[in-house]
Amino acid sequence: MATSPAFDVPAEPPYKRQKTSSEPMNPSSPAPVADLAEQLDNQERKKYVKGKKIGSAHLVSDPQKLVAIKKIKVGAEVKAFGISYDSLREIKFLQELDHPNIIKLHAVFSSKGQNLNLVLEHLPQGDLLKLVQDTANISYTPADIKSWMLMLMRATYFCHQNFILHRDIKPNNLLIAANGEIKLADFGLARSFADPFQPMTYNTVTTWYRPPELFFQAQYYGGRVDIWSCGCVFAELIARDVLFRAWPENEINMVKLICEKVGTPTDDNWPGVSKLKGYVTPSEVIPIRSKDQWMMGFRAIGETGVDLLMKMLTLDPRKRLSAEQVLRHSFWTESPRPSRLEDLPKKGGGIEAMGEELKKKGGELPNGSARGDKIARKIDFGAMNG
Amino acid sequence: MAQPLSEDDIYRTSTQYRLWSFSPESLASQRKKTHELAVDRAQRYADRDTHLLTEGEELRLVQRYCEQIRTTSDHFKWPVNVKATAVQYLRRFYLSNSCITYPPKEIYKTVLFLASKSEATHVTLADYARRISTDPEAILAAEYKVMQALRFTLDVRQPFRGLKGCLMELLNMAEGMIGHMEGVEEGMSEGTVVAERTKELPSPGEGSHTKWTPPSNGKTQLKHVQDRIQAAYSAARVLLDGPASLTDVYFLYTPSQILLAALQLADGPLTGFYLSSKLPTDAPVRPKILATISACADMLAAFNQSQVLTKDERAKLEERLEKCRDPSTKDLVKAFAAMRQDGTGEDGAGEEKAKRRKVAREKNEKEGQDLFGPSLTASGT
Repeated sequence: MATSPAFDVPAEPPYKRQKTSSEPMNPSSPAPVADLAEQLDNQERKKYVKGKKIGSAHLVSDPQKLVAIKKIKVGAEVKAFGISYDSLREIKFLQELDHPNIIKLHAVFSSKGQNLNLVLEHLPQGDLLKLVQDTANISYTPADIKSWMLMLMRATYFCHQNFILHRDIKPNNLLIAANGEIKLADFGLARSFADPFQPMTYNTVTTWYRPPELFFQAQYYGGRVDIWSCGCVFAELIARDVLFRAWPENEINMVKLICEKVGTPTDDNWPGVSKLKGYVTPSEVIPIRSKDQWMMGFRAIGETGVDLLMKMLTLDPRKRLSAEQVLRHSFWTESPRPSRLEDLPKKGGGIEAMGEELKKKGGELPNGSARGDKIARKIDFGAMNG
Repeated sequence: MAQPLSEDDIYRTSTQYRLWSFSPESLASQRKKTHELAVDRAQRYADRDTHLLTEGEELRLVQRYCEQIRTTSDHFKWPVNVKATAVQYLRRFYLSNSCITYPPKEIYKTVLFLASKSEATHVTLADYARRISTDPEAILAAEYKVMQALRFTLDVRQPFRGLKGCLMELLNMAEGMIGHMEGVEEGMSEGTVVAERTKELPSPGEGSHTKWTPPSNGKTQLKHVQDRIQAAYSAARVLLDGPASLTDVYFLYTPSQILLAALQLADGPLTGFYLSSKLPTDAPVRPKILATISACADMLAAFNQSQVLTKDERAKLEERLEKCRDPSTKDLVKAFAAMRQDGTGEDGAGEEKAKRRKVAREKNEKEGQDLFGPSLTASGT
């Protein structure tokens, strides 16, 4: 293949998938000659369908590594939308993102009945939520938290560098690989950064991890929405409890909790906030929580750690740190060093757990625990642009 | 310390680079292969003397439907990114499929709907179908086929935001608001010098897409430079909207190369000035980058709206397509329904069977235990 005039590197796919010579035809295929796209699709399918099936995790030893196959079934909703927004978003963004802390999409192929199959990296160790919740068996150190958070922040930074907002960062979307690495997963709510003046939906991000600007119905926002969620994860790892556990879980209670725990948003600490559509003038103003107060709950992570936490959970998104600023914070380089991967505690859910993980439609939780995370899924497409 | 990510590094991981960038030769050979396969396929059902479309005719028909997508998208008043994505979906689709097998008349509606979804412009299928007076089933029928042909990649990298960035940067330069720059041409890192130089630039040359002339008194002020920059931006935007969509530039060049090419056609001297603020004259890569931009600019400039098929020409080609319709793809709605039936039948039946087997097994085990008591080994240890 000749070199493209546009690049130094010839425009070839990363691995050999382009073989297009005529192959024996799929006998059930209605077409007498498969076109090029069909041939490629067939090749992918053949590569992956021979494996052993456990739950919906379909394990394949070829090519030399385990993968998990997430099958997106055509449901009843297909009549109203075609392929769902969730699936399209997940496929679109995972195809573009290649980072050690983001779940890897190896391939996509279609199977009978027009089901889509996502060939994903095999992540057998469950998710971060399971570790946080298993207080009886799992103990971990501030160094472990630093290590996990660093991986999460690298993943978030990488998404933002690629102009992608994840919009659903939470412990159960952080899967753990066999070697202990954290992998950001579930891009079903992700979207590209909007152009200036192009409105986005505010009804996104699982309620407990949703930043105040979205409760106030801001339609123009950026990477800082994810940073707030990361801050919530950080606090949850330290305290081993959800930071903003509003119950009953509704927006009014969430705003109330944020006011109590961080401070009441006002035009003084967040210029312009009162102009946001969903802003309600508070009857009582709770002052911004001081560092000493934060220290009371999160002393374990140290003073620098608390400083970072406060800056990730700053009310005004313009003052909240960006992913890059978070990574430049002195917390990471200060003692203790982040734990090495092999020293991180593991729970070991194994293959079955990953199968369960993939069966989840998203937003669900293990054992029906009472977390109403489903809310994030319910985006009202009719009302506005996503 | 590790090197920070460069924009080039990120672009190289994109599917647009990995799967949808070609050399002119590889692009041509891909199309040839696709056409030949379709002709091969047609041999099996069409009469020997059927006058099949040639490769060139196929290309022009696809181009005509790119134009159709643009009109329809504008009719919906959708943002430019939806339009550009849909056009590239159609072009990518026809790299591995032929018009002979899948006439674009049917595919383009699916492609536009898919683009509206992947670019987060929410319109319901019912609404979309109604507004283009098409059966919703027909729009969905080809969706999987399109996804497959797109090799399940949906992201299209576009030049529009980059162009906007150039506009903002140029305006800042004209006002002398620039940060410190290293390794650029002498004097280009000082705000006032840069601002002065924007006033001294020669007028856009003959054949430029920007009609801008310096004020008659010869005294170019900031306001004149600002007008010039805005005019160049608008002209480049028009080129990106039209010619960039209707030629192969997305397959052959990167978004930044495309936008700089458009800007060059709009106002050469201004673009040269802008580039010199990025690329020192003695940079070894400079000639290569400039040559690439020029080649892309030539391709954009060579586009002529009159090349696009007229309605009559299109109708004639489609009449010929109609005569050699592939029976297996003739009724996509029916094929789609059958495939879904087939699939759910198979998958569903499989799962049902497995479930029944499991229930039966559990029942057996339970009954076994009741009959013979708990297993000996289990109770013994």
